[in-house]
Amino acid sequence: MSNRANVGGWLKGKTVRKSGIISNVHTARSSTPQVQSTSSTLFSGGVKDASGRTTEYFSMDDQCPVCKSDRYLNPKLRLLVSSCYHKMCESCIDRLFTLGPAPCPICQKVLRKLAFTPQTFEDLSSKEFNKRREDFFDLHSYNDYLEEVEDITFNLINDVDIPQTEARILAHRKENSALIELNLQREEQYAQALKEQEELERQEKEQRALELRREQEIEREERETAQREIIDRLETSTKSAAKVIAKSRAEAMKRSSARSTTTTVLRSNAQLLRARAAQSTVVPDPPHVPLQDDWYAYEDLYTIRDQYDDMYSDAVRKDREGIMRAGGYQVEEAWDRALRCAVAGLDLAPLSGLNPSPGRTDSAVAFA
Amino acid sequence: MDAVEKANTARQKRWVKDRKVGEGTYAVVYQGREASTSRKVAIKKIKVGQFKDGLDMSAIREVKYLRELHHQNVIELLDVFSSKTNLNLVLEFLDSDLEMIIQDRSLVFLPADIKAWMAMTLRGLEFCHRNFMLHRDLKPNNLLIASDGQLKIADFGLARDFADPGHKMTCQVITRWYRPPELLFGCRYYSSAVDIWSVGCIFAELMLRTPYLPGESDMDQLKTIFRALGTPTEEDWPGHTKLPDYVPVGQFPRTPLRDLFTAASGDTLNLLSRFLVYEPRRRINARDALNHAYFFALPHPSHPSKLPKPAAQTSRPLEELDGNVDMAGAGPGVKAAAPNKLKRKLTSPDGTDLRPLARRLDFTQHAKHS
Repeated sequence: MSNRANVGGWLKGKTVRKSGIISNVHTARSSTPQVQSTSSTLFSGGVKDASGRTTEYFSMDDQCPVCKSDRYLNPKLRLLVSSCYHKMCESCIDRLFTLGPAPCPICQKVLRKLAFTPQTFEDLSSKEFNKRREDFFDLHSYNDYLEEVEDITFNLINDVDIPQTEARILAHRKENSALIELNLQREEQYAQALKEQEELERQEKEQRALELRREQEIEREERETAQREIIDRLETSTKSAAKVIAKSRAEAMKRSSARSTTTTVLRSNAQLLRARAAQSTVVPDPPHVPLQDDWYAYEDLYTIRDQYDDMYSDAVRKDREGIMRAGGYQVEEAWDRALRCAVAGLDLAPLSGLNPSPGRTDSAVAFA
Repeated sequence: MDAVEKANTARQKRWVKDRKVGEGTYAVVYQGREASTSRKVAIKKIKVGQFKDGLDMSAIREVKYLRELHHQNVIELLDVFSSKTNLNLVLEFLDSDLEMIIQDRSLVFLPADIKAWMAMTLRGLEFCHRNFMLHRDLKPNNLLIASDGQLKIADFGLARDFADPGHKMTCQVITRWYRPPELLFGCRYYSSAVDIWSVGCIFAELMLRTPYLPGESDMDQLKTIFRALGTPTEEDWPGHTKLPDYVPVGQFPRTPLRDLFTAASGDTLNLLSRFLVYEPRRRINARDALNHAYFFALPHPSHPSKLPKPAAQTSRPLEELDGNVDMAGAGPGVKAAAPNKLKRKLTSPDGTDLRPLARRLDFTQHAKHS
C-alpha cells in the first residue's frame, strides 16, 4: 500500500490548492477561464516545474465530461488530462483506474492512472510549439503560427477533431524537429543562465553579510582595545585623566569614520551599477545648450514690422479674430518667412570652384 | 541610354539591398549598405504601381523636405534613385525608435534621460519650424534612435511648409493620440503649434510609459483630452466654438497635472502644461521650450551614449531581462526598426497594423502579474 501512495503522488497536490480555489469561488465567479497563479513556495498543484513558472490551467466553468460534476457542486474539482487528451476529474480517475488499466470512457483507449497529467500548456507551447519571432521571415507568418498553436490547443481542450489535431501536431513535430530541439536548447540555456545569475547574486549577498559581520567584529575589538588603552595610559601617564580620555576618544572617532566612508563608497557604487546596468559612468552629462548652431545670431539683420502692404493676406488681416484665430494661424509667420527667404543668402560669398565656402552653406541650400 | 538614365544607374550601383526589414502601406523597407564603404543604410522602396495618379503624395513630401533638411536630429536622406518603376529612398539606418524604448519594460528611465530625449526632439523640431516646415506626424514611433543614442525625427510623409495666407490645410493629419484639439475640431488654418501639442503628448508618455491621451475615435479623443485637461472655456481658447467641426463634448473639470504626474518636478509640470495649452497662439514654441528652466535645472540631460537602449542592442545583466528574451543573441531576425516600419497608422481604428498578437501561449506572464 505504501507503494500506492507514492504512485499517486501528483494527486496529493490538491490539498495545497484547496483554499485558493474556495476563495476564488466566493470572490470572483467569472465565466472566463483563468490561470491560477501559484506561489513558487508551494508545490504547484502537481505541475512538475520547480521554478513555478508553469501553472495548472483552471477555469471557473470546468466540468467533468464523465460524471458531469462541475465546480459549483465541487469546488475542489480538478481535471486531469489523459494521454488521449481527454479530461476527467480526479474522482472519476480514482473510480475507473484504481483497479488497473481500463478503457477511456470517451474513446475506449486503454489508460493507466499514472498516465494522467495536470492541465497545462507546457507540453504544447514550450516543448513542441516553441518557435520564436526570430524563426520567421516576417510578422505575418509568426502571427499565423501563433494562431495555429491556439487553434490546436483549443481543439485539444474542447475535444474537437482529436485525430486530425494529433496529426497536425505530428506533422509539425516532423517538419520542425531540428528547430524545436534548438529552441529547447535555447530555453535550457536561458534557464541555466538565470540560475547562474541567481547563484551569483546569492553569493554576493552572502559575501556582503559576511563583510558586515567582520566589520562589526573589528569595531567591537577596537572599542575594547581602546578602553584597555585608556586604562593603561591612565595607569602609566602623568597627564590629567580628562585629557587622556579625550585624546583616545578622538583617535577612535577618526578610525571609525574612515571605515564608514569606505563602506558607503562601495555601496553607492553597487547601486549605481545596478541602476545604470553596465553603462560607463565616466561620460559626464554636459549642461543643456538650447541650440547647437548660430542660426539666431543673424537675426538682427532685419526686423519685422507690425504691418505690411500685402495683398495676399488682406482678407486674413481683416478677419484677424475670425476663422484663423482659434487654429493659431499667424500671418506674421508668413511675413517672417518671406523676409527670411529674401535676405537669407545675402552675406554669402558666391560659390567658386569646387570648394563651397564654409559657414552658412546649409541654409543657402535650404532656400535655393 | 540617355544621361539621366546613366546617372540613375550610377547612383543605383552605390547602394546594395541586403534584406527586407519591414513593410508599410506604401513602402517596403530594406536594410542595405553603401557598396564602397559598407556603411549601413535603410532603403525605402516606394510602391508606385498602385497609385493611378502618379507617385504617392507622402513620397513626394518626404523627398521634397528631407532633401533640404540636414540636422543632427533629423533623419538624413542620403540618396534617391529609381529602379524599374519604383522609387527608392536611401536613408540613414537607425536601430530603434522611442516607442520600442518606452515599451521595453526592462528599461528604467531617469529624469535626465527624458530631458535628453525631449531636448533632442525639440532641437530637431525647432530646425523644421525655423525652415517653415510642419512635421505633422510626431509620435514616439517616428522618433528614431541612432546607435550612439542621438534621437532623429523621421517620416516626413505628412510634412508640409507653412501655408501662405488664406490657403487651407488638411486637418486629417497627426496620429490621433497626438493630435491637438484644433485639428480635431476641423480647423483648416493652423501653425507650428500642432507639432508642439504632439511633443507634449510624447513628453507625458515618456513619464507615464503609456500613451497619455489614447482616444478610441476622433470624438473620443476630444473627450479623452478634456477629461485629462478640463473642458476649455471661451477664455481659455477664444473662438474655438466657431471651428468648423465644433461639437460640445461635455463639461469636465480641470484637474491638476500633479495628480497624475506625482513624481515630476515643478519645472517639468510647468513645461508640460505649456505644451498642452488649448489656445494654439499661447502654446510655447520649440525655441522657447528649449530655453525653458526645465532643461537648465539639475539633473543635466543624459549624455546620448548613456541613454537606455532596447534589449536587442545592449547586453545587460540578466536581472533586467524579462522572461521571453532570447539569450542566444539576436538570432536571424535582428529587431531593427527601419523608418516607417510597422507604425501606428494614421487612421486604422480596425487595428490592421502588424503587431504581434499579444497572445503567446505562455501563461507564466499572466500568472506573474495576477
